Amino acid sequence: MWTTFLVVLKMNLRSRSALFWLIVFPIVLATMFNGVFGQITEGYDIKPMSMAVVKDANWKRTAGAGAFVDALAGKEPSSDATTGAHEGTATGLDQQLIDITTVTSTAEARRRIADDAVQGYLNADGSGRLRMTLSSDTAGTATSSDGNVTVTIAALHGAIELYNRTDAITRETLEDHPTAAASARFWRSVGDAAGLTREVTLTNVKPDPIARYYYALLGMSCLMAMSYAVAAVTFAQANLSALGIRRTVAPLGRVRQLLAGFLASWLCAGTSLLIALAYIRYGCGVLLGGREPAAVLAVGVASFMSCALGTMIGAIPRLPHGVKIGLTSAISCVLSLFSGLYGSFAMELSDWITRHAPVLALVNPAQQVTNLFYDILYYDGYRPFAATCVNLLVMSAVFLAVGAILLRRQRYEHL
Amino acid sequence: MTVQSTQATSAVKVSRLVKHYGDMVALDYFDLDVKTGEIFGLLGPNGSGKTTAINCILALLAYDSGTIRVFGEPMTPTSYALKRRIGIVPQNVAVFNELTVTENIDYFCSLYVPNKADRVPLVEEAIEFAGLQDFRKFRPGKLSGGLLRRLNIACGVAHKPDLIFFDEPTVAVDPQSRNAILEGIRRLNRNGATVIYTSHYMEEVEQICDRILIMDHGRHLALGTADELKAMIDTGERITIATLDLTDDALAAIRALPRVIDATYDGRELDVRCRRGDRNLTDVLDTARRFGVNIGHLTSRPPTLNDVFLELTGKALRD
Repeated sequence: MWTTFLVVLKMNLRSRSALFWLIVFPIVLATMFNGVFGQITEGYDIKPMSMAVVKDANWKRTAGAGAFVDALAGKEPSSDATTGAHEGTATGLDQQLIDITTVTSTAEARRRIADDAVQGYLNADGSGRLRMTLSSDTAGTATSSDGNVTVTIAALHGAIELYNRTDAITRETLEDHPTAAASARFWRSVGDAAGLTREVTLTNVKPDPIARYYYALLGMSCLMAMSYAVAAVTFAQANLSALGIRRTVAPLGRVRQLLAGFLASWLCAGTSLLIALAYIRYGCGVLLGGREPAAVLAVGVASFMSCALGTMIGAIPRLPHGVKIGLTSAISCVLSLFSGLYGSFAMELSDWITRHAPVLALVNPAQQVTNLFYDILYYDGYRPFAATCVNLLVMSAVFLAVGAILLRRQRYEHL
Repeated sequence: MTVQSTQATSAVKVSRLVKHYGDMVALDYFDLDVKTGEIFGLLGPNGSGKTTAINCILALLAYDSGTIRVFGEPMTPTSYALKRRIGIVPQNVAVFNELTVTENIDYFCSLYVPNKADRVPLVEEAIEFAGLQDFRKFRPGKLSGGLLRRLNIACGVAHKPDLIFFDEPTVAVDPQSRNAILEGIRRLNRNGATVIYTSHYMEEVEQICDRILIMDHGRHLALGTADELKAMIDTGERITIATLDLTDDALAAIRALPRVIDATYDGRELDVRCRRGDRNLTDVLDTARRFGVNIGHLTSRPPTLNDVFLELTGKALRD
């Protein structure tokens, strides 16, 4: 049995097509994901915009505007700004949104825009409201493809709107309660949002929507690894191959030969998945929530299920080995569609199935393998992960039982 | 005395074996008795039941009724002690494409001889037996058709079985490889192995088999040595004459000769099958001359195993 185990191991490790599809292919696909999704993620980073600040008479009458733009520029408030009444106003942003160029008039600011020296300007109107004007190029870019500019402009709009609302409320309060102007506590509270909102973490780690694609890739790789078990069964069955005839005639029981093949296939499938997982984790930097040991356990469970499914497919009578390998690829590709591998549409389809037809998601092995890693990353506890493990083990038991029935029923009528 | 006793022992004895595939009868009360130490030829057209019979003997197939005994013991799928004494060389090359020549032989030998130390000399001997010394580290994909067949044989005989099944081992190999394979089978037999050999190459069977069984429709048709089989059929002599001007009257006259079984003419060659007799050739030639037939090349030969086979199983094409 040990020799059979070693031979199946060698057979799997020396099979070029298996090595390609089970080790090279996931790494190539993960690298492609990394390239595509990495650029998308970078595209949504906030990058400071060069803005002129028009410090004219209106600006000087607008208390707190200086402190506000300094905060937008990521600087300590200037001494002149801190003298303003709105010194407590906060942007609520930790990042630098603008690089400031000080000008004295809107005309000068427009000239700077025309010279491409700045992308826009900030000024205060007669009523003390801050306004942002963008160059036509910048505005055009924001509506087209440049994600960085879009995000930065959105953040600036939000911050300026917050400033204007706070300013308006402060003015109304002072009109209704003129005595409040003398209260230092009042001024400290203006614009102070601290305590009104609280950051709550509902997941184990910060959600990473991109990670699901990598997990779906692991699901597909796992199903592709079925081919190991398919070959192990096909080449041990007398009615499926000439090799099977030779091995069946030998004085080593069929169960022991099949068991040796299964264990070797499990080891190979697990190893190939571990390689893919390691590359995704350390090569592509996809998080596992600090639960790497659980991910290794997930690989063990997933590869066991994969080999069980492979055993069942391998045991189908009368189908040649090549057809079964084709079937393995087809099943992997189709089921991966429903686990969200092929882009946002597939991901939405996967979510729709999970919400509206949960049983289908439950019986989709690709989805369940994807869920294994998803559970590890997102959930605080291990209960969902354990539930998915149990589901996969139940699936494995069913696949093995069907495979065993198929193998027992075969009486080699078509040798 | 010892030799006689050994000869009398059956290596394989099949009695009244019946096997159906649905409504089709594959083996119809089939009998077989292969003596220890002989090379036994099993012949039959495609679909005659040869492979079914072998698969039943090897316990690969269940059968409906009858008995099978190998070395005097009933053969079942779990007769591991018996299986250790059996080797099989299937018609299709059955080796792992991912393993080298040595690894393949070692693996199949390991199924019979688990101990590695015991196995090493056996593997080495099998490599030498098959003449694969220069190809130890080659994978099957790099071997020629003849070498592949020899590897297939080495994998089946490395554990030194007492009974070896060869199922058409020389299909698609060149004459040199075929000769080497047949010589190897003789050597195995000389070393004590009983061989059951199936092939469609009649001259091979005639060349190496001690006894031959011809079967068809799942039944035993004839059994004996090649000479005994030839004696069983009507044809005793076959005369072939190259001629371009044989008339219908001449052909009819030849057919009417007392010892002629059948005569056919295709416009270029006259083929006459005769019963045994001393004057067949002169009778045919006299008749041809009487009708003014010009005779070109002429041959006369005794019947071959192929003639026996065709006469017993018919000339109709099989699947």
